[in-house]
Amino acid sequence: MIKREFKLSLVKIGKFIVVFLIADFLLGTMSKQLFFNQETGKYARSTHAIKKSEDNVLIFGSSHAHRHYVPEVFEKELNKTCYNVGAEGQQLLYHLALQQMIFKRIKPKLIILNIDEGFLYSSKEAYDRLGDLHPYYEEYKDELRPILGLQSKLIDFKLFFKSYQTNSTIVHALRYHLSPQIDYKGYRPLFGKVALTNKSKMLKVNRREIDSNFVTALERFIDSAKKNDVDLVFVTSPKFDPIDNSENESFKKIMNIAVNENVTVMDFFNSKQFLNQNDLFHDPSHLNDDGAKLFSKAVANKIRNLK
Amino acid sequence: MLFNSFEFFFFLSIIFVAYWFIAHERIKLQNILLLIASYVFYGWWDWRFLSLIALSTITDFIVGHKIYNSDQKQVRKKWLWVSIFFNLGLLGFFKYYNFFIESWIDIFTSIGYELKSTWTLQVILPVGISFYTFQTLSYSIDIYRNKLKPTADFVAFAAFVSFFPQLVAGPIERATNLVPQFLKERKFTYQAFSYGIKLMIWGFFLKLVVADRAAIYVDAVYGNIENHDGLSFIAATVLFAFQIYGDFAGYSLIAIGTSKLFGFDLMTNFRRPYFAASVSEFWTRWHISLSTWFRDYLYIPLGGNRAKKPRWLFNLFITFLISGLWHGANWTFVVWGALNGAYLILEVLIFKKNRKGVLNVLLTFVLINFSWVFFRANSVSDAFYMIKKIVTVPGRLYIGSGDDIAASIYATLAIAILLMVEFKKEYFDNVFSISKHKFEWVRLMGYAVLVYMILYFGVFDKSQFIYFQF
Repeated sequence: MIKREFKLSLVKIGKFIVVFLIADFLLGTMSKQLFFNQETGKYARSTHAIKKSEDNVLIFGSSHAHRHYVPEVFEKELNKTCYNVGAEGQQLLYHLALQQMIFKRIKPKLIILNIDEGFLYSSKEAYDRLGDLHPYYEEYKDELRPILGLQSKLIDFKLFFKSYQTNSTIVHALRYHLSPQIDYKGYRPLFGKVALTNKSKMLKVNRREIDSNFVTALERFIDSAKKNDVDLVFVTSPKFDPIDNSENESFKKIMNIAVNENVTVMDFFNSKQFLNQNDLFHDPSHLNDDGAKLFSKAVANKIRNLK
Repeated sequence: MLFNSFEFFFFLSIIFVAYWFIAHERIKLQNILLLIASYVFYGWWDWRFLSLIALSTITDFIVGHKIYNSDQKQVRKKWLWVSIFFNLGLLGFFKYYNFFIESWIDIFTSIGYELKSTWTLQVILPVGISFYTFQTLSYSIDIYRNKLKPTADFVAFAAFVSFFPQLVAGPIERATNLVPQFLKERKFTYQAFSYGIKLMIWGFFLKLVVADRAAIYVDAVYGNIENHDGLSFIAATVLFAFQIYGDFAGYSLIAIGTSKLFGFDLMTNFRRPYFAASVSEFWTRWHISLSTWFRDYLYIPLGGNRAKKPRWLFNLFITFLISGLWHGANWTFVVWGALNGAYLILEVLIFKKNRKGVLNVLLTFVLINFSWVFFRANSVSDAFYMIKKIVTVPGRLYIGSGDDIAASIYATLAIAILLMVEFKKEYFDNVFSISKHKFEWVRLMGYAVLVYMILYFGVFDKSQFIYFQF
């Protein structure tokens, strides 16, 4: 009697798994098609960089990279093709993953990594947002496993399902299909000016714990660039207010690593050219289009002078 | 260990196989296995607090026998108080100690005396303490009331106290229902197995798709109230109503479903609460295991509705006030409980008969949502600030930025699915059912698509269940 019940349960579970796997395959394949056919939006930009870009100069970083580096300016000043793969809200683990996937296909001549001063501080969001890499896992397992493995030990099991690979991407895909998000080789300008306040304030980054995974990610990022013979430059973006990094352990560690690894650093924090220039900022942390063009030109000039 | 983790999936599979294939038909061995599994499940979070569960188990096991073995009312009562003091003492220390000290200091500060906060302690709230202390209390009280005989089987009792599916967030089971199930043979049936899996799937949908998607918008608004206006507060509160429902009802369904896999029946904890036509009806549908616990062990002993009307109303109010405090050591929960108590008093005073109809359902939903503002707000002053803005500055509706927009859309779609399912269940239960459809492939496809939706729209690896903090 009991055996019959077990047998029945096993048969039913088996049938359910088969039906589910078929549904997962069919619906999952459709959603992956939809995902990789996006022409605009953040996923489209990443996919372009990974699968299509042949550019000489690639710009990595968070929203500061995405909004501050104008490829057109770099192309004109350096006479090299350029693409901006900056991704809003993303941090070092994501940038490393992107770099590894890109290196599988091409080796650019130069990579600019825009450094955020708190890059090494622990951040739950940095791990949560790695979900943006899931759609690429099937094709880039070797590159992504060490990074996604930090988020979950069961990554191979989870990403076996196509449904999970494209988890919650459909609204994004449909949204930018219906209303394309224009970008200029990965750069999206911000417009408007930051409101002027009476008093300029000194910014300080709150002390947090350093995440050793982020330190390793930065070291790997440098190491991969060296091994692939790709020039690497670290740049810090200007801010509207002055910033005091004297007690910022994250920033100090990044600078130490850069010095030890012989990576050129271009520090635009507290740059007089930008400080308190409200005409150049969209908000206290982001340059507007005018500011971005001016900043891009300044960075390009410095890079040219390196040679 | 969280239900919404892949670790739990593997843990459950191992325990299930061992339970039915190794310990099969050996009740004692099955209970030992469940006990070990429950301690591993709890210890996964923090093994140090296993000692509290063990202490609570030993205390109530002894107390139960002491009460039962004595004929003297005074002695029985004395032992009952031992259980009450011990369990509520644990709860009081770990959950409320700092709250009362800080409130005491605040009172002195408000009248001009500055007290230094040297008495507060770094106390971690052990997960699920509010649940298992209430569950063990019910055991001692029911023995005292001669409703239950104490069990001589310590392992069965310990497994009852720590039963992993409902250990950390309920349903708060009654000893009269659950203890006997640990003492008799459990039979594996396909029907119970299948029903358990279905409940779990629906529970995961409620948690991962409804609750966790809604949480993204709710957190963005409630965590940053200075930058939002009335319309956003209304939207966030309505979403929170479904977030907390999905979170808690989802957990309960997973717990009930998991228990069924091991041959146990737990009580229903939620019955479509947002279709209630009055607040009193809402409380017969929301967190039923807690509502009935307070009814049986607090409200009725206070005199219930059999006392004179002023006393009856007082009983109602005090029960809800304490229920509010049970939810958390914060004045927001006290106000939330008081508000629900006030609703019930007004219903007694204004309405003579049971209310029905769509308008009453909507009115109840609005009242409950109003109380959720206090439940979710970070402080009572934040709640009043939000209410003031709702009334005076409707402003612009925040629709989210970046990925938050998508999260709000997924949440809205998931809530629409939830409401359709519950509407059908509430009013047209026998009309059409995928789960009871005569064709097997329709049933299988229905659940396959539901699982697909969980994996495709769900939020993974990001959140705990809200009720863990209670």
